Amino acid sequence: MAGVDEPTVALSNVEKTFETADGTVQALSEVSFAVESGEFVCVLGPSGCGKTTLFRIIAGLETPTGGRVAVDGTPVSGPGMDRGMVFQEYGLFPWRTVTGNVEFGLEQRDMQPEERRRVAAEMIDLVGLDGFEEAYPAELSGGMKQRVGIARALAVDPEILLMDEPFASVDAQTRLMLHEELLRIWRETGKTICFVTHDVAEAVTLADRVVVLTGSPGRVRSVVDPDLDRPRDRTDEGFNECRDRIRSLIQ
Amino acid sequence: MSIDIGTGSTSSTLAGATGLVGQADGARLWRGALGTAAFLVIWWVAASFQPTYLLPSPVEVAGAFVTELTAAALIQFPFGEGTIAATRLPVKLLQSLYHYVPGLAIGSVLGIGLGVGMGWFAWLDDALTPVTRVLRPIPPLAWIAFAIVWIGIGHGGATFIVAIGAFWINFYTASAGVEGVPREYTEVAASLGVQDDLAMIRKVILPSAAPEIMTGIRTSIGQCWMIVVAAELFGAPGLGYEIINAAQNLQLEVSVVYMLVISLVFLASDAVFRRIEGRVLAWRV
Repeated sequence: MAGVDEPTVALSNVEKTFETADGTVQALSEVSFAVESGEFVCVLGPSGCGKTTLFRIIAGLETPTGGRVAVDGTPVSGPGMDRGMVFQEYGLFPWRTVTGNVEFGLEQRDMQPEERRRVAAEMIDLVGLDGFEEAYPAELSGGMKQRVGIARALAVDPEILLMDEPFASVDAQTRLMLHEELLRIWRETGKTICFVTHDVAEAVTLADRVVVLTGSPGRVRSVVDPDLDRPRDRTDEGFNECRDRIRSLIQ
Repeated sequence: MSIDIGTGSTSSTLAGATGLVGQADGARLWRGALGTAAFLVIWWVAASFQPTYLLPSPVEVAGAFVTELTAAALIQFPFGEGTIAATRLPVKLLQSLYHYVPGLAIGSVLGIGLGVGMGWFAWLDDALTPVTRVLRPIPPLAWIAFAIVWIGIGHGGATFIVAIGAFWINFYTASAGVEGVPREYTEVAASLGVQDDLAMIRKVILPSAAPEIMTGIRTSIGQCWMIVVAAELFGAPGLGYEIINAAQNLQLEVSVVYMLVISLVFLASDAVFRRIEGRVLAWRV
């Protein structure tokens, strides 16, 4: 099945059209790229370029109307525990505490309650939410909610973390802090991350490679490798150069 | 209307508002007591010009209340033999509860069941929407025809009518609650390994729709008392029957006693359920 050189996520000629009252709308056209194991890839594009549709196709929540999507060499046929999802609006279960949210995926497996507790505590510690185990989502700030979202997705130990504009709803300062945290978590866990965003600076801060989409229909305009040392400094010359290069690609 | 976004003045406005609330609490109590006293006085004065069989005075109602509370009566169980000695008021209350409680329980369970089922399974919704659309506007009491023919107008018939009332209220709120479950919840759950419909309903749909479901139950707790009284007007024993029966004997003071009993029982059950609701939905903070 998964060969040695098989990329973790492989998209080839992915097409997506939607039937609407006004006729057929093409959201994605001939989208092809691959994400290697352990890589941090950002899918960047302006709003309406179909990047969320692309996220949903990789997640298995939408079926492409053409082309192939494979994870570890297996065609995607629906959502699965190999792909953890993190949403912009968090999607936390408001009736569950932080621990309850993080344990949700573990409950679907044969796992002793003590073992669940242990894994959940480990994940909560990983995202820096110690002391908030018994808080309900309504009691948390936006940044803390998204930490819970990340911990919940990581708890079932997926191979890939799929993130759809996860930090778009938090304030700028919190966002910068969450970037550092996410990069730390990525280093510590070695997960493959596929991160959708419309924010050029965010993509340059985070990604090994940036897949630049243009609309409509959404196509891959270019794949940019920032090739900058980490931690990346937003005032750095190379950073600005890369950001401007990507901006000119989008315009 | 102006919107104040300054933090300093906002806090001072808040402090002012808190002061007002504190003041209003005392004032409200006084006004409430005054209004109640005025109502009783007007009632009492109006009643003093009328014979009791047209308008009983508050004092006569209080007297009737004591009589109903102390006059001996027997508790008879709807099933089986045997009686227990008690007094009139609790006996009448128990008689109403014999059809109120099972009617409310059966109607709520079935209504929530169908509402959740139709809210979640699109095929079931498609299949049953025409029928439910037509049947829902029919007032529960209109089903009295079937209650009489099928069951007879006793506890059974009244239970049937109450259950129909509870059914539609809970059906409507539960299906609306399920339709309002954010898509992200079910998508996240699917990505975390929830595969079959039953697990999805149990772990995501029911807890997410719980606020609406609880509202449906609370609404039917109140509405079912209205239905109980209406059903008893057709002859099922209980508080509602006693209201009509006493009026026919020109004992309006007894009618008023049982009207007030219904109000008190409703207020008590609503207060109890609000506490339960607060516990179940503690996560709403």
